[in-house]
Amino acid sequence: MSAANEWLYLDYAATTPLDPNVAERMREVRQTSFANPASNHAAGRLSATVVDQAGVQLAELLNTDPGRFLWTSGATESNNLAITGVAKQRSHLGRHLVTMRTEHKAVVDVFRALEKQGFDVSWLLPDADGQLSVEQFEAALRDDTQLVSIMHVNNETGCFQDIATLGGICRTRGITFHVDGAQAAGKVPVDLEALPVDLYSMTAHKFYGPKGVGALYIADGTVIEPLMFGGGQQRRLRPGTLAVELIAGLGAAAAESASRLETDLLHLTALKQQLLLGIETIEGVCVNGPKSGAYPGILNVSVADIEGESLLLALEPLCVATGSACNSQSQEPSYVLRALGRSDMEAQSAVRFSLGRPTSKADIARAIDLYRAAVVKLRSIAPGHTT
Amino acid sequence: MNSDPYSLKVRKLFANTAHAGDIPGGVSGFYEDQGVRLRLSASVTDGAMTALRFQAWACPHVIAAAEMVCSLFEGRPVADLELFNTAQIMDDLGIPVEKTGRILVLEDTVRSLGQAIQDRTDH
Repeated sequence: MSAANEWLYLDYAATTPLDPNVAERMREVRQTSFANPASNHAAGRLSATVVDQAGVQLAELLNTDPGRFLWTSGATESNNLAITGVAKQRSHLGRHLVTMRTEHKAVVDVFRALEKQGFDVSWLLPDADGQLSVEQFEAALRDDTQLVSIMHVNNETGCFQDIATLGGICRTRGITFHVDGAQAAGKVPVDLEALPVDLYSMTAHKFYGPKGVGALYIADGTVIEPLMFGGGQQRRLRPGTLAVELIAGLGAAAAESASRLETDLLHLTALKQQLLLGIETIEGVCVNGPKSGAYPGILNVSVADIEGESLLLALEPLCVATGSACNSQSQEPSYVLRALGRSDMEAQSAVRFSLGRPTSKADIARAIDLYRAAVVKLRSIAPGHTT
Repeated sequence: MNSDPYSLKVRKLFANTAHAGDIPGGVSGFYEDQGVRLRLSASVTDGAMTALRFQAWACPHVIAAAEMVCSLFEGRPVADLELFNTAQIMDDLGIPVEKTGRILVLEDTVRSLGQAIQDRTDH
């Protein structure tokens, strides 16, 4: 494999590097605040202050009250806790749950596990751009629906769902509304005071914070059951000693994002436009997801007559995600793109470019060149016909 | 964790597909299965394959294996195609067992080429 300094990393939807200011804050905390924040002594109180400060920073980013967050290990845990916690807490009222086919595995697999436990799940399909229609959503709701979980920004296509409208419908019907915000928090404006959302999952490493820490927002009046037991921390909903250094990193990343959200979006919008213009000129390329109005950090494209696994290798040293998991572990094309109506062939040739703060115009120009060269190479060696 | 699924040999052969292409007027064998489309073409003179080329819509392992087969058999008698050995190719290239089905498509294509050469000779 290429050395790290030769890579062209365009996989920021998978994870981001640690922001230098975040790293510095974590270094400070590591040296000064190692104590358990639950300990009732001066050192413990110092750690608790660090945690509290991170809560304030995250609350400022998302416009809410710092007391409404639970610290978790990341969005996967937040999703598990929110979905399972509500489903079980409200199971005596009904066992019908609603979500989408295009959710992240960290949501899909939780609902599948709940189905095995006797819950009835409605799986909604989006349109060809990935958008869920309000009419279809309303039609899926029933008198016994207890929970809806819809992601804010799709991790493969960048498609936004209309969280405000969907949440409003849930609120009028008394249905708990969970949003997986892993690809939105710290990347696009999110106002949790304004949005009718009961639970919102997020993770630090998607917005230049450390891996291994996330949060779950729980609105006032929303009740969940814990998944774990073993202490009184975090209102007994998520016991265990808090990871002070990681939480401080999340807080610092939130503060950094809050200060540059608009700049980041302008930067990404210009880069995505450049990338789209360069890629679109290649014959047979189609965009997966909305061509406009999607999150500007993600561009997902398929290309006709190209084998996805070979495309990924031919693209090196470009680091991108592929719609084909066609390796020794799995041969399943992206279920998200299949849900958008893409064929197996289209889905397996899909490439997700995801852009980030460090991405430059020169990076995009190089990515276009690498993509074009890979497509030309693979087309040149493919059989022209099948007889 | 996610270790490199490709051996150095596979990477080198995939990057340098010197035998990719077609031979106009040559003899071809084609096979399609397991998500693989593969064509082998040969020009044959006096019972020997003087040139071998491949065309593939396939994963990197199959492309590397096809390139290797062309290198191995180019210049050799047609009868040597019988010596094609799937297990040896997989071993040489470090191809995971999950890809056996795809490499068997290469074996079928080699046989198809041998048959096509035989048919032309008989004709």
